Amino acid sequence: MTMEKKYKISYNENNVQGSVAYILVKEFDLTPNILKAEIEGDGTGKMVLSVKGEPDVIDRGIQRIQDAGYNVIPLCSHITRDDSKCWDCGACVSLCPTHSLRVDPETFEVNLGIETCIACGACVNACSVHALKLVL
Amino acid sequence: MAKTYEEINERIRSRKAVVYTAEEIMEVVKKKGIEKAAEEVDVVTTGTFGAMCSSGAFLNFGHATPPIRMTDILLNDVPVDGGLAAVDTYVGATSLTKDPKGGYGGAHVIEDLIAGKSVHLHASGPGTDCYVRKEIDTYISLDDINEAYLYNPRNCYQNYGIATNTSGRTIYTYMGKLLPRMKNATYSSAGQLSPLLNDPHCDTIGIGTHIFLGGGEGYVSWQGTQFKTTPEEVNGVPVGGARTLALIGDMRQMDAKYVRGLDITGYGISMAVGVGVPIPILNKDILQRCCITDEQIYAELTDYSLPSGRSCMQRYNYAELRTGSIEYEGRKIRTSSLSSYSGARKVAGELKSWVENGEFELVKPIRALPREAKLKSLTEEWM
Ligand code: SF4
Ligand code: SF4
Repeated sequence: MTMEKKYKISYNENNVQGSVAYILVKEFDLTPNILKAEIEGDGTGKMVLSVKGEPDVIDRGIQRIQDAGYNVIPLCSHITRDDSKCWDCGACVSLCPTHSLRVDPETFEVNLGIETCIACGACVNACSVHALKLVL
Repeated sequence: MAKTYEEINERIRSRKAVVYTAEEIMEVVKKKGIEKAAEEVDVVTTGTFGAMCSSGAFLNFGHATPPIRMTDILLNDVPVDGGLAAVDTYVGATSLTKDPKGGYGGAHVIEDLIAGKSVHLHASGPGTDCYVRKEIDTYISLDDINEAYLYNPRNCYQNYGIATNTSGRTIYTYMGKLLPRMKNATYSSAGQLSPLLNDPHCDTIGIGTHIFLGGGEGYVSWQGTQFKTTPEEVNGVPVGGARTLALIGDMRQMDAKYVRGLDITGYGISMAVGVGVPIPILNKDILQRCCITDEQIYAELTDYSLPSGRSCMQRYNYAELRTGSIEYEGRKIRTSSLSSYSGARKVAGELKSWVENGEFELVKPIRALPREAKLKSLTEEWM
């Protein structure tokens, strides 16, 4: 059974970000997806990565990344939305860095795509009816 | 050929009225041409569902035995007005509980009452010879009080601005959460569906106009507060907030889906209300104005990090705003609507079905709204 897990990975100038995805694909046949990446001027940076695959393979892949000197923190929080409260105002849409909150161009309803959410929390206090919550 | 209200109502009663929403009408006119469409179409329905702080409700609790003249009144811990007669009150939408972090205010009390919930009433008064009681603590619901009607001094802003933030920190405003360095911008009009953008000079909307208010029926009671006719027009509609409507309606008919208490972070409480106004197609000029599209309606981008004197940075039309981003000086700014376009569509659609089913007739206004009005500012007097 495949599953998806998300991690926050910090790196420095000695371990470039690209090789993380490379290792996970080549050595473990996992499907990584970089949801967000930030590189500072000094070569250090952070990224949020989602990894799809068999749970034990994901664990081994992540262990390998840690052994390679990256700092890896699993993202265990995620966003939930109480759809019965949401009134489709759209206030949250422009705050989401990963475009996980989108307006449907046909119905103009606001949809939440949980797969790309990096649990940054930016949308939570923009919602006037407290429909969005970060759950740990 | 011009139609009259009576002719349209006759067709509504016999369920023959031809009704379209302000979105649907454009296609109809494109297909049939304005002359033919003006003859065939009876009513165009509009809708809006956005935040409007200038909202509230009048309630009469009924008298207890022995009776009390209430001066300090709390509903679910929200202070409401004690400055009316013994058991009358006005629940202002933005009134807040003592603990401002609660995120609960007058608008939520109104939403809860409409949803059929019971609300905690705690009131005290001075105790007089005619009203001997000094305190009461009980629960009320819409079933056990007398009158309960929404009275919103200002709703349906004709158009409104676009807010952004050029400063280096996130600001929290009534126009929502604005990220630093113009990372986003917010706007709030329903554009082509909005009542006062489809009848921009209030040729048909006036005092007495029968409307959809919060899921029930209501009326336009007066011009709204801050009504003005001075903003510049582009394509026949103002580019900023101009005309507004004061609205009244029976809370018992309403649906809590269309009357929502809002807690706007860093600002306070507001209320979202679904409002729909039917426009009688009395002649082709009125129909022509209902054909306005989002491409033709402009709003002005301003910087909300400035405390005052926010001048226009650039104009954008609603079709651009609804794409999710706009460009300013070569950079992309992401956009958010603050009012629900899907909600506005539902309002216009529901009102359309009421009219089609003969359940809702039009009322000819008993008086027109002001043709010209300017806005005054508050000045400080120095001794
Ligand atoms: S927490 Fe909210 S803003 Fe952040 S990525 Fe998830 S949906 Fe987008
Ligand atoms: S801000 Fe809240 S109510 Fe508005 S669209 Fe987003 S989740 Fe829905």
